[in-house]
Amino acid sequence: MLRPQTFLLGALLATPALAGGPLAIRVGRAETVGKGVIENAVILVEDGKIVTIGEDLPVERGIPILDRPDWVVMPGLVSCYTRIGLDSEGGEDVSPDVKVTTEIYPGSRDLRKVVEYGVTTLGVYPAGNGIPGLAAAIRPRGDTLAELLLRDETYLKIVMRSDAPSKKRVRDAFKKADEHDEKVKKAREKWEKDKKGGAKKDEKPEEKKMAQGEGDEPSAAATQDAKADDKKSDGFVPPAPDAKSRAFVALRQGRLKALPTFASASDWLHWLDALGKEKIGFDVRLVLNQDSDLFYVFDKKTYDLEEDGIGDRKVHAIVEPLLTFTPNTRRVRNLPQELAKAGAKVCFTPRSDDLANYKAWLAHVGELVGAGLARDTALRALTLNPAEMLGVGDRVGSLEKGKDANMVFVDGDPFQPATRIQAVMLDGRFVFGEVDL
Amino acid sequence: MIRLQSLTRLALAAAFAALPLRAQEGGQEGSTGGGEEAAQAPTDDSDARWFAIQGGDIYTGTGAVLRGATLLAKNGRIHAIGYDLDVPPEAKTLDARGYRLYPGLVAISSQGLLGNASGDFRDTIDPFHFRMVLGLATGITTTGVGSSVVKLKRFSVKDAVINERVFSTFAWSNNNPRGKSELRDKFAAAARYQREYREWQRKVKEQKDLPEPSKRGIDNNVLAVLNGDTTAKFSTNDRDELLGVARLAQEYGFRPVVEGCQEGWTIADELGRAGVRAVVTPRARRTKDERQVFDGGSSIENAAILHRAGVPVAITPATEGVDLGGLVGRDIMHLPLEPGFAVRGGLPERAALESITLQPARYLGVSHRVGSLEVGKDCDVIVTDGDVLHYKTFVQWAVVDGKVVYDKEKELFFAHIRPRPEAEAPRKIDAGETPPKPEAEDGEGEGEKKDDAGGDERRGDDEPK
Repeated sequence: MLRPQTFLLGALLATPALAGGPLAIRVGRAETVGKGVIENAVILVEDGKIVTIGEDLPVERGIPILDRPDWVVMPGLVSCYTRIGLDSEGGEDVSPDVKVTTEIYPGSRDLRKVVEYGVTTLGVYPAGNGIPGLAAAIRPRGDTLAELLLRDETYLKIVMRSDAPSKKRVRDAFKKADEHDEKVKKAREKWEKDKKGGAKKDEKPEEKKMAQGEGDEPSAAATQDAKADDKKSDGFVPPAPDAKSRAFVALRQGRLKALPTFASASDWLHWLDALGKEKIGFDVRLVLNQDSDLFYVFDKKTYDLEEDGIGDRKVHAIVEPLLTFTPNTRRVRNLPQELAKAGAKVCFTPRSDDLANYKAWLAHVGELVGAGLARDTALRALTLNPAEMLGVGDRVGSLEKGKDANMVFVDGDPFQPATRIQAVMLDGRFVFGEVDL
Repeated sequence: MIRLQSLTRLALAAAFAALPLRAQEGGQEGSTGGGEEAAQAPTDDSDARWFAIQGGDIYTGTGAVLRGATLLAKNGRIHAIGYDLDVPPEAKTLDARGYRLYPGLVAISSQGLLGNASGDFRDTIDPFHFRMVLGLATGITTTGVGSSVVKLKRFSVKDAVINERVFSTFAWSNNNPRGKSELRDKFAAAARYQREYREWQRKVKEQKDLPEPSKRGIDNNVLAVLNGDTTAKFSTNDRDELLGVARLAQEYGFRPVVEGCQEGWTIADELGRAGVRAVVTPRARRTKDERQVFDGGSSIENAAILHRAGVPVAITPATEGVDLGGLVGRDIMHLPLEPGFAVRGGLPERAALESITLQPARYLGVSHRVGSLEVGKDCDVIVTDGDVLHYKTFVQWAVVDGKVVYDKEKELFFAHIRPRPEAEAPRKIDAGETPPKPEAEDGEGEGEKKDDAGGDERRGDDEPK
């Protein structure tokens, strides 16, 4: 490992702490999530990033040190499936073109408040019951949408139930994507014919214009779509998909993930049935209620299913921290634990989108840990798993060199009910807690 | 002893004898067809899904009983039934020694067994719903729902619907004389159209420009009944109404299914001649209309008399749903108890079993797949601890498409009532690695002993051990 001093050299100019300059934090214990537990950890933060983290690292003179030996630090919490701070309602529409970013309001009180509960990354989705649209990953602090936005179009929310309309929506959407594929094929044929027909090279830019004109959004996204379609890169520019089919074309090309939501075991089988032979990437949102029967489809083996179980697909599974009952009994089940055992990557979301449940989020997960959920799994399900689910796992979700300095400082085991959050750091700044250096 | 195995072996030998012959022919013609066929045969078997239920008394539902026999299924279909079967070593097995095998029961109609499904069951069936478990615990593996026929294929949403648009329902009521005459007119018009259409079909070969007869005013449902595409279903208990339906059926040559049929016993011969098929509920009661001169009202002998007169009898309980309020003991969960009351009135036991297996399967147009244990049919089997019609009997295992989908000991509902004796549960079954002959003798000896011990139909769970 590189000696920390070499990192500190560049940071020697003593810029004021808490304003992007270097800061060393010494705590009793760090739950890094990515790299296990570090006792007596020292974390060096500069320019909003974690420069280094390790056990008992020496700190260069001149760098301010925050010394809190009775604190435990963990990565900022990631709530990847939420509508906190959003207000509108949606119907049972098919609107895969809707983006949640249009309704985000940076000044929302709730967004400011969740930071105090340790949440530093949010995945927000558009409201609705059909195929409501595209979610985005945001940070909860910032003055403009651009400052908030970490990643747009992170997943396409699809509400899947065991009924004919749900399945029809999915099948029809893929039919629309088929129509686009057909259009691309025809355009390519025409292009190849023109190319062969003579050196009509001047036709190419013309077609490019037309292709862009066809899409509703001749934006960066549309050209990106066009590029992704074009595998051979022989100069052919395929027409951009229209707004309604764009998301499903992207799903097929593997540039977007779907997030179907299920409330019962049969929803999963009907989802696989509706997909048929489509090979798309998806994660799942499982709505746990008291008598949930979802455990039937956690893996293929237990109930000898004809199809893969949820865990067999190694998907991220978003659940609320809730103990449920075996249906028609009072026998408690720890479904998140079973889900993790089956191979799914569990992601926790608060029990609901109100601030009270955000405040009690860690305690609720603690209840599951008390009921047998592995501590590591629980920590990961609050941080790195949801970050990866949102496609920002390279930036947030764990305490590692080079990642964003999003940290939650607590005064004990985060899963003990008496533990309190002492401070929260977001992008290298303390956004909550009274911290005197 | 019936050795079905020798029969299948014979058939296999015949098939293999035919194969090389065809391969030679293919070779002569220089095509690869023969080679492909030869290559296909082994691969076909290598990924086959085998399942064997061994050592039980097999009640095939067609009259035969094979004691201590084995039922072998391949890819969900019954492959062989008999003794000394070659069970592939990779086969999943179920030890049914001391138990009975029956064909999975067929409910002519039920509600709620598919969960909260409605509309197209392909898109709405809930194969995890507790009512499906209760249906299987009852022994039901196939049910009519509305006009569809669905198998209780637990843990899967695929291939559960096996028939659709089975019935067209018509009303025939003394209270609505106009409706009766209208229906009669519809049948007359449809029959006329059918004749005209057939004549046109014959003539149009010569006279190309002959116009097709107009379908205007023809009732599509009635036409479908006359064409044999759907079955006419009536619901009536009244003697006069039953007679009316019988006459209509006779006149237009179709075989209606009549639900209720409570006064059928008074005119059973007429119904038999007309080809009426009955769905009865032996415990349903009806008082005689005292204004009538003839016999009337319900009779415990109804099913028996209808059966004797050649009327096929299917039996259904008083309510179609899983009903735990009001009619306990008369809901769909007590389907196998209902025929017992018909037996009390004189219905032969074989007909009683058929009334909840083969007959409803025939009415529903799926008797080529379910309703009895025969080679080639779906492996839908229930394994019980006694006579399926006996009130004390529990379904121990239910098998659909060669897969155990219900095990009494593993489900919540009845595991605690007379649990299976511990000693019998975990026995290991030899899947055929050791030479079969001495073991087969063991098995038979054991089976006979058991038969002697349990002289009465029940195996003594409450006898001290």
